[in-house]
Formats: sequence, C-alpha cells, structure tokens
Amino acid sequence: MKKLGIITALLIIIVFAWFFLPMSANNASPKGSLEKLVLTGSSTVAPLASEIGKRFEALHPNVRVDVQTGGSSRGVNDARTGLANIGMASRALKVKESDLLSFTIALDGISIITHQANPVTALDRQQIIAIYTGKILNWKDVGGNDAPITVVNKSEGHSTLELFLHHFGLKNTDVKAHVVIGDNQQGIKTVAGNPNAIGYVSIGAAEYAASHDIAIKLLPLGGITASVANVLNHSFPLSRPLNLVTREAPTGTAKAFIDFARSVQVNDLIEAQYFVPVAH
Amino acid sequence: MSTNTLATCLIWLAALFVTAVFVCLLADIISQGLTGLSWSYLIEPPQDAGRAGGIGSIIVSTGLILLVAIATSAPLGLATAILLTEFSTQKSTFAQFVERSLDVLSGIPSIIFGLFGNAFFCIYLGLGFSILSGGLTLACMALPILIRTATEGLRAVPNDYRLSAAALSMTRTSALIHLLVPAATPALVAGLMLGIGRAGAETAALIFTSGYVDRMPDSVMDSGRALSVHIYDLSMNVAGGDAKANSAALVLIILLFVINSVSSFLANHWMHKRIIHL
Repeated sequence: MKKLGIITALLIIIVFAWFFLPMSANNASPKGSLEKLVLTGSSTVAPLASEIGKRFEALHPNVRVDVQTGGSSRGVNDARTGLANIGMASRALKVKESDLLSFTIALDGISIITHQANPVTALDRQQIIAIYTGKILNWKDVGGNDAPITVVNKSEGHSTLELFLHHFGLKNTDVKAHVVIGDNQQGIKTVAGNPNAIGYVSIGAAEYAASHDIAIKLLPLGGITASVANVLNHSFPLSRPLNLVTREAPTGTAKAFIDFARSVQVNDLIEAQYFVPVAH
Repeated sequence: MSTNTLATCLIWLAALFVTAVFVCLLADIISQGLTGLSWSYLIEPPQDAGRAGGIGSIIVSTGLILLVAIATSAPLGLATAILLTEFSTQKSTFAQFVERSLDVLSGIPSIIFGLFGNAFFCIYLGLGFSILSGGLTLACMALPILIRTATEGLRAVPNDYRLSAAALSMTRTSALIHLLVPAATPALVAGLMLGIGRAGAETAALIFTSGYVDRMPDSVMDSGRALSVHIYDLSMNVAGGDAKANSAALVLIILLFVINSVSSFLANHWMHKRIIHL
C-alpha cells in the first residue's frame, strides 16, 4: 500500500509538472509580456465582445482579450470587485449601480412581428397584453381576419423575453403561448410560415429579414415605427443599450479596447450580430 | 400462453422504443450536421461568433480539459477504490461514510459543480478561467462514478485470487499490481469511460470554469471553450448558429464514440495478455 501511495503521488506530480511546464516555458519567451483583458457578463454581449476582441488582438498583438459569460448582473458584479477588467451588461445600469461607469457600444431593440399578409397594421399596448395573456384569441377582435391568433413567445433565459415582459408589465407565467422559440431566426421563420402568428424578435434581425423577401412585417409600437433608425435616436420605446462597465475611468489597454468597441471600425461586427451601432 | 405472448411483445416494444429514440436522435444529428462537416471545419478556428469557420481550437481545448480530468481522477479514483475494497471491510464506518458521500456526490447537479469549481479552483486557488480549472472540476464530477465502478470491479474479482496470493506469500501490494488490478481492468476502464463520458458532455460545469474563450489555448492556464459549451452557445445564444451547432454535436458524438471504442479495445487486449498467462 505504501508503495502504491508513493507511485500514485509521483504520478500526480509528474502529470502536473508536465502540464505546468509549457506554461512556464511560455512565460519565459517574449510572449511573457502578454497583457490579458478579462471581460465577463451578459451572454447577449459576449459573442459580439469576442468578435471585437479578436479584431482588437489583431491590432494589438501583445494583448489577449478573454470574454466570459454569466449574465449582466455577474458582469456588473465582477467589474465592481475587480474580478474582470470590464463587465458586460445588456441593460442600462440601475440606480444602485451608479458607482460604476458604463459605455454603450451598441443598441438592441425588439419589434413585434406578424405575417406580411396580415391586414392588421398596428396594435396598441392593451391589445398586445390581451393577446399575450390569452384574452384576445382571434384576429377579428383587433380588426383583422377571422382567424385564431398563434402567440409566439421566447423561451426562458432570453434577455429579449425579459425586456418584452418588463415593457408590458407581464410575468412569464401570464403568457399563454402556442409556440415557444429560442433565437431570433427561429422566431422569424415561425412567423413567416404562419399567416396568423404574432411574435417579437430583435429589430436588426427582423428588419434584415423583412428587407430580404421574408414574409414578415414589423408593427409600430406606441405609434413609433420599428426601425433601426428609431432605436438609434432613442424614440423607439422597446430598446436597451449594450454596455461595457468599469469601476473607475478606464486607462491603458482597457481604455483602448472600450474606445475601439465604440468606434466605426467595429460597426460591421455589431451589425453581424443584429445589433445597432452607436458610432457614426 | 396469451400472457406470455403479451409480456414478450411488451418487452420487445420497450427494447424497440429505446433503440428508436437513440436511432432518431443520431439520425437527426447526422442528417443536420453531416453537410457542415469537412476537414477545414475540424482544423480552422471559429469566426463570426461560431457561425463561420471551424472548431479546431475548440477540439484542442476539449481534449486538454478531458486529459486534465483523466490524469487527476484516474489515480485518485483507483486509489480510493483499492482502499475501499482491499484495505477496509464493507461494514466499517469509514468505508460506509466514503461510499455514502460518493452516492450523494454522484447525484449533485452539474451546475453545482460548476459553481463550486468557479469558487474554489478559479477564485480561491487563483487558477482563473482556465482549462486546468475546468479539468479539475470535471475530475470532481467523474470521481463518484469512477470509484463506484472500480469498486464493483475489484469486488467482482474472486476471493480465490487473494487467498492464492496469500498462500504464495505474495505481498498485498504485488497481489494488487499483478493480480487484482489487471483482473479488474475492464471495470476500471468502463468506470473511467463512464466518468469521462459524463464529463465530456458537460456544459454547466464548464461554462464558469474553463470558460468561453474560443482562441487556440497556449497552455492549460488559458481559458478554452469546450465543445459542449460551443454547441450550447451556438444553439441558444447566437442567431443563425443552428447548422454549425449540429455539426459540432456530431463531432462531439464521434469523439466520445472513438474514445469509448479505443479504450474498451485496449482493456480487452490488455486483460487477455495479463490474465491468460498467469
């Protein structure tokens, strides 16, 4: 038993040494001057931040941008405790979080969508709430055809769902959904394939689909046309900022990254993730 | 007669149903994922949040995470199993305590392991979001299954082996090394595979430990995205990532299948070599 214990211990040590060696070798090489920038937070922002990070790394070869997810609250928290250099939040900072600084890199809006052939051109707040809570079940009650409404809702865990529920003052348990979908593309496909469906998706994705001959229609909200332009000028009511959050005024590499993320150089990346760039 | 036929039919139906679920699942993933599968997909790094490019860096990260998990859990698991079977009786309080805690441990949801790994390895031990943190977390997850099967395997070795060894005045250590462990090798490998299979398909335990970074890792101290995390992100978080998610899922299944076949082949081969010539 003693022998076996010693053998096991030796094995563990060898394995660890083998794993740690390449690391120390790397540190000894010129790569040792690598600077690491850690971002944590919103899963909505994470794919965009990763892409921005890759382009930033290409411009600054001695910087590594590590993006981790975990949700907006985690991003805010990690930025506050210093666990992350920069936090990511897919919402504006709350009053309790006013000790932090936020930098908007993009905007995201949510549009109500219906099938292109649906004659209904607008729904007011009360009508949308009634449809999503199952009190209005037929399009003829809101001035449309005599056809049952198919309510498309987002699955739990999507920030789009949270934003939608928050805007209309609903709880997810109130919603009487017929179809529950995951991402934006699935929502667009579902509504485009069902003339009686109503759903809500990210505005950038919806606008792109509608302009590429997919049979959906964006409904205005509160009299404001659902468009990227109206998200940009803050007139569209159902929108949110995507923020980078820091504890103190950023300096050095963090500042360079935030400035880069807010510059026109990343607008194509922001649009590729169906968000609305702020820089022009 | 009729009850017999009915029972037979039900048993066949149940077996068919289980097989059908597996075949449907596999067929779905193959039909959706095969078109996106190519050599370049396997070696290129992901681009555009995973919607373009490949999964080269992600396969490397996954492999490293599994390697860390195997390298740490295998010796620990084997040692614990030997202690439980050979150096303590099944009735001793200590052995019962260890086995009970293993049972509890194996029922703990993986997200708890993820949060524990994040708090302990990443923050407390200061390993950060790294492949090492992820691999160690997976090792913790795989240990209960590994020890369970290894214990069963060692207990299944006939007592005659131990008695004969004692009669030949072999020490317990050499009896273990030359007799008991080789005889239990298939069970040990099966346990390792079950553990690694569970670990390799893990998302919740990895997203907060090995992390989300999809760059090619330089060392085990770098954050690296595992295949399962990549699949989860593509199907749940990235608009238009479904096709690539299916291809990545197919790769993960093939990877686990290959690991499984190779190890069971090795186990059989090995055992024949060591036992038959005894």
